[in-house]
Amino acid sequence: MANENSKNRKAILVTPELCIGCRACQVACKSWNQLPGIKTKNNGSYQNPPDLASAAYNIIRYNEVPSQDNPVRWLFVSRRCMHCDDAGCMKICPSGALYKTDEGAVAFDRDKCIGCKLCVTACPFDVPRYDADGKVTKCHLCFDRIGAGMSPACVKTCPTGALKYGDREELISTARKDGFATLYGEQDLGGLGSVYAFKEEPKLYGMVENPAIPSSVNFWHTYLKPLSVIGLGGVVAAAAIHYLAIGPHKDNEEEV
Amino acid sequence: MAEMVRKESGGAILNHWMLAISCILLIVTGFAFLFHLDGVGAVFGGYETMKTVHNWVGVVFGVSLVFTMFQYLGDSLKYDADDAQWFKVAGGYLSHKVKVPPMGKHNPGQKLYYLGIVIFGIAIALSGLGIWLMKDNATIMLLSHLVHNVSFVFFCIMVPVHIYLSTLANPGTLQIMTTGMVPLELAKKRYPKWMKAIGKM
Repeated sequence: MANENSKNRKAILVTPELCIGCRACQVACKSWNQLPGIKTKNNGSYQNPPDLASAAYNIIRYNEVPSQDNPVRWLFVSRRCMHCDDAGCMKICPSGALYKTDEGAVAFDRDKCIGCKLCVTACPFDVPRYDADGKVTKCHLCFDRIGAGMSPACVKTCPTGALKYGDREELISTARKDGFATLYGEQDLGGLGSVYAFKEEPKLYGMVENPAIPSSVNFWHTYLKPLSVIGLGGVVAAAAIHYLAIGPHKDNEEEV
Repeated sequence: MAEMVRKESGGAILNHWMLAISCILLIVTGFAFLFHLDGVGAVFGGYETMKTVHNWVGVVFGVSLVFTMFQYLGDSLKYDADDAQWFKVAGGYLSHKVKVPPMGKHNPGQKLYYLGIVIFGIAIALSGLGIWLMKDNATIMLLSHLVHNVSFVFFCIMVPVHIYLSTLANPGTLQIMTTGMVPLELAKKRYPKWMKAIGKM
């Protein structure tokens, strides 16, 4: 699937260095997706709301990381769904509610969601949230906008270019040319659809190091799933062969 | 009319079919979840209802499983030299020429199958409850998901074996789970040690 989509795979390039923490992206996201406001409280940080929520598909994280020459240094990072190529949520979802669009966005079908929350456990980034009705919600890369040739609402509104949308390959090569050595998400999980151009170590920005789908989920997907079908089919075939080749038990022959 | 002996009580038969029907329903809906079989989902009016059905049929399965333990667990834990010999001749299933040792009420294949059903049945029921009710505990969810699916593979492989052996492979066996009766002459051939134990032989 990766190869079929790689040509027109779209992505968001996040350049935290350019982010001024205005949170227009949060507002635009709410506006486009018609999400209600969230009652929040002061957690001792300007980061608000404090984390992703069913009504907050993206947030700006206000990482306070003092450096030697800047004792009040803020590192703003847009947190959102990473739109993994190898998406754990999609893999584990038992009802097909999570799916991938042609552009590579991992979107969700609310009507198909059965509220099992398995996607939450399989997501390496702790992204999916559940709304009051027990249905999954998360950033869907504005699949409805990008499918019509527009850019996602957050990118459209970003005043500084900290969020850029476009062909994934182009965004990556442009970031390379601009001198960003560390591109977070270029390779992880088959390549993320949210790529981050960092000047410093990703963990300074609070990013997950070496993100991966839980190994038990991969084991299940790679071995157990096929084994259930192969096992069932194999036994039925073996039974048919046994019946034809050896035949049923005959009580009269037992005395031989 | 040939003399008959009762091998299964009415309660055991009823419980067997409760376990069997719930088990097959769970396997079918389980496959539908595993491979997104929309057609199966549609039978239930969608995945959401199918999940509810799967969960509650799972409860029926679990309760029924507990009932079986009063029925078969004791016998399934006892093995003797004839049982060991039974394995050596593969129960007579690979050749009609071999001499199968005399058996009691259940042969060791049935006893082990039953133990497998109990062990993986408990595992699949408890892990099912984990997925159903402990959604907000990631560790329990992941562990339950793994255990549930490992057990599922066991059921996918062993249940059809059980169905084949109790129908086509051994003609006359199915009636044990319908009427509960076996003709005495047949019982003497198949379960001589049991027949001796109850003084019919």
